[in-house]
Amino acid sequence: MMEAVQIRHRHLLDLEDWSASEIESLWRTTDAMMEVMQRKVKKVPSLQGFTVATLFFENSTRTRLSFERAAKVQSAEVLNFAAGGSSLSKGESLKDTLRTIDAMQADLYIVRHVAAGTPYQLSRWTDASIVNAGDGRRAHPTQALLDGYTFRRCFEGFDGFRGKRLTIVGDVMHSRVARSNISLWTKLGAEVVLCGPRTLLPAELEQYSGVRRCFRLEEAIEGAHAVMALRMQRERMQGGLFPSLAEYQARYQVTTKMMERAHPHAIVMHPGPMNRDVEIEGVLADSERSVIEEQVAHGVPVRMAVLYSLLVGRGR
Amino acid sequence: MRQVIKNARIWGVTGLAEKADLYFREGVIEGMGLGGEVDRVWDAKGALLAPAFIDLQTHLCEPGFEVREGLESGLKAAVAGGFGTVVMMPDTDPILDDPAQVAQIQAKASALGFAKLCPAGALSRGMQGEQLSDMWALREAGVVMVTDGTKAVKDGHLFRRACEYAAEVGLLVQGGSLDASLCQGGVMHEGRVSERLGLPGQPAIAERLALFRDAEIARQTGARVHFGPITTEESLLLALWLRERGAPISIATTPHHLLLSDESMASFDPRYKVSPPLRPPADVKALRKALTDGLFDCLSTDHQPWTLAEKELDLLQAPSGIGGLETAWAVLYTSLVVPRLMELDVLLRAWTQGPAKVMGWPTPKLEEGSPATMVLLDLDQARPVEEKQLASKARLSPWEGQMLCGWPVATFVEGRCSFLREENGLSREGFLGH
Amino acid sequence: MGLRWKKRLMDEGEINRAVNRMAHEIIERSASLKDVVLVGVHTRGIPLAEHLSKLIHHYEGLEVPVGKLDITLYRDDLTEIGVQPIVRRTEVPVDIHGRELVLCDDVIYTGRTVRAALDALMDLGRPSLIRLAVLVDRGHRELPIQADYVGRAIQTSRSEVIKVHFHSTDGEEGVDLLESES
Repeated sequence: MMEAVQIRHRHLLDLEDWSASEIESLWRTTDAMMEVMQRKVKKVPSLQGFTVATLFFENSTRTRLSFERAAKVQSAEVLNFAAGGSSLSKGESLKDTLRTIDAMQADLYIVRHVAAGTPYQLSRWTDASIVNAGDGRRAHPTQALLDGYTFRRCFEGFDGFRGKRLTIVGDVMHSRVARSNISLWTKLGAEVVLCGPRTLLPAELEQYSGVRRCFRLEEAIEGAHAVMALRMQRERMQGGLFPSLAEYQARYQVTTKMMERAHPHAIVMHPGPMNRDVEIEGVLADSERSVIEEQVAHGVPVRMAVLYSLLVGRGR
Repeated sequence: MRQVIKNARIWGVTGLAEKADLYFREGVIEGMGLGGEVDRVWDAKGALLAPAFIDLQTHLCEPGFEVREGLESGLKAAVAGGFGTVVMMPDTDPILDDPAQVAQIQAKASALGFAKLCPAGALSRGMQGEQLSDMWALREAGVVMVTDGTKAVKDGHLFRRACEYAAEVGLLVQGGSLDASLCQGGVMHEGRVSERLGLPGQPAIAERLALFRDAEIARQTGARVHFGPITTEESLLLALWLRERGAPISIATTPHHLLLSDESMASFDPRYKVSPPLRPPADVKALRKALTDGLFDCLSTDHQPWTLAEKELDLLQAPSGIGGLETAWAVLYTSLVVPRLMELDVLLRAWTQGPAKVMGWPTPKLEEGSPATMVLLDLDQARPVEEKQLASKARLSPWEGQMLCGWPVATFVEGRCSFLREENGLSREGFLGH
Repeated sequence: MGLRWKKRLMDEGEINRAVNRMAHEIIERSASLKDVVLVGVHTRGIPLAEHLSKLIHHYEGLEVPVGKLDITLYRDDLTEIGVQPIVRRTEVPVDIHGRELVLCDDVIYTGRTVRAALDALMDLGRPSLIRLAVLVDRGHRELPIQADYVGRAIQTSRSEVIKVHFHSTDGEEGVDLLESES
């Protein structure tokens, strides 16, 4: 068992510079937060006196709500700034936008943006902590943390990530969830198999050791301990990335039948929002193998642990 | 007015240890060590005197985008960087496709009296790629080159006709070095780094394919076609192969493509977003070797100014391009010549004789009868790049804070001192009364 | 700043006798022993609670449930401190509503830990009463809080530190007095 270590990051921009033991420590804090979320009165004073601001330049009600809940359960003040492109389309630079919001004196910003790297840019211009809530195709670290946490809790007989296999199916190219999960699972010693049409699986992702591509679903699922289906967006058809939903469903839909090839205890995950019967068979999503509901439930405690870890101990 | 620059090491004339005095009168060089009455004495204190640099790809943004740059700020930046002549790209607003407008810009530039301005005109009307511009009239107004920018003209047919026409007019054409349809949405070089960073990429073949089409059209039509930044090893090899087969093409690259790689994008700093994009280290290495081996005809800055507000956006929205006139020489000198990766001669030629040859201009020399368009370079003293001190309005540099040496200390354009770095080792008195 | 060992205040036998007495006091004072829940504060309140529970079972034949309480999230210095306390899981196995709680900790000093623990307990439910059991009371209270069951009261100075060792957490049992060297 790994020793719990102090988490000494000011920001959570992506998982690349987080060590395996820091992630394990964060998950232990998450265990404690799970207990809080199981209480009748879900409120602790741990972040009293801190102010957290959500800066969503790209809309996402569920992620924002999950973070907001995580902050409020810990008694933090929460400010919401839905940029939604409005002020930026008027020609305000990113830096000026931040300067305006900085006047509100938040201790931490939760940032979502369509462009990769924006949380990095912002972190250079403010003293506040930054949590990346999804930037372009790059990273969605809290999603990967909650996916990994879900596997840790829900995989029957869990004994660590080493030797486990995660299969991610779908539009990996545009997926920050996939990139963050690749980073997390390979760091912890698991293997990641990427599956989907060749147009959506960039070869360069094999630069991560422990990652391989596989273009046939039945091979990709063989022996997998966890299978994650990614949301398939219709817009991708216009870009010439795949021909039709029918063809996609026929070859890449994760089904109950297909799951028979996986490890007997294999779990099925989906980062949501789900297109039922497109990337995942509806029956499978409701089956015992599915941990999709648990993923959603783990969102808040994981984000509570992230906020706690970044805010407490930074001193004033 | 007769002037003399004393105690200069004169490139191509004296040895590096040997100092001489160069006399010039009314903008023309008279010769060395002549003696006699002079109106003004400049003491070079051992600095290197070379013909002033020539840039074939500068964006000056006036008229239309004066918040980014203007003739005054841009031409000041040019002389501060040691450039005596710049070729201005036609992507202004309105686009430079009208002879009257060309004349106007030239009049304004010569009244300002910094670097000499040579406008490039649009290849097609409004750079729309549909109808040829009036190339004869543009040439008569002073245009030295026609181009629709570095993105390849969409319609191959139009580019072919433009080349045929320009060949007859005797104008150099700047070809495309990016196939826009392959670059869709890409903000950096497509490869390992872009996948890791989750940024949409532009495939390297976009450059090669554009080059291939335009160079083949040059070969077929006999038009002289110049290619702005060539940035990958593969497209370099292709250009050499085409040239060997008789394509009348010339190629250049830029300081940033010679010194920075796509790894810089890991900082998510829009400063590094340029077009063509920064390439992987292997390409950078190949470009440097090609420059050393004399395979590039010249260097150009691709000085592309943007305001801070425009550049300080996210990486999808931020525009491509970076200013570079002021640092171009010093950064290459410091990074390549000082550590002995490249001969001083090679670098000087790439900024002087190289571009003159591409343009078909007389070879710049420090000899009797040549124009006194010269730069004094202090090869020893180091000074940091300070964005806030730049003469250009584009106060962003990839080299912010870096200590560079080789800085120009004085730039003469046709005998007139247009730039002088006063805090330097030059005798201050010599410049009084200017 | 280091810590210098000064002397052993209690050995294993003395601890056993003190805890034994506290167990008897708890049995005596509780209105209804079957309603008692012992709640230990992480880390060294837990072995004390477990020890008490074992003794009560020994004397009365009754299983008194033991809960574990982590008070980190309730500390009053989280916005100021420069280190990050590790949060542990709170595990109270029974509904505390209407129960008689005995909050257990190794040492009572300023009273701030107990204040945080009381807040934490209130968030878990509404007990009928809460009493406090500590192995060592070293004085210097900063809040109006007193222990109901005390193993030993010891006069200390503020520069001194009391260190309690239990088998389950430290491999041996005893109470030491240390002095900080500045």
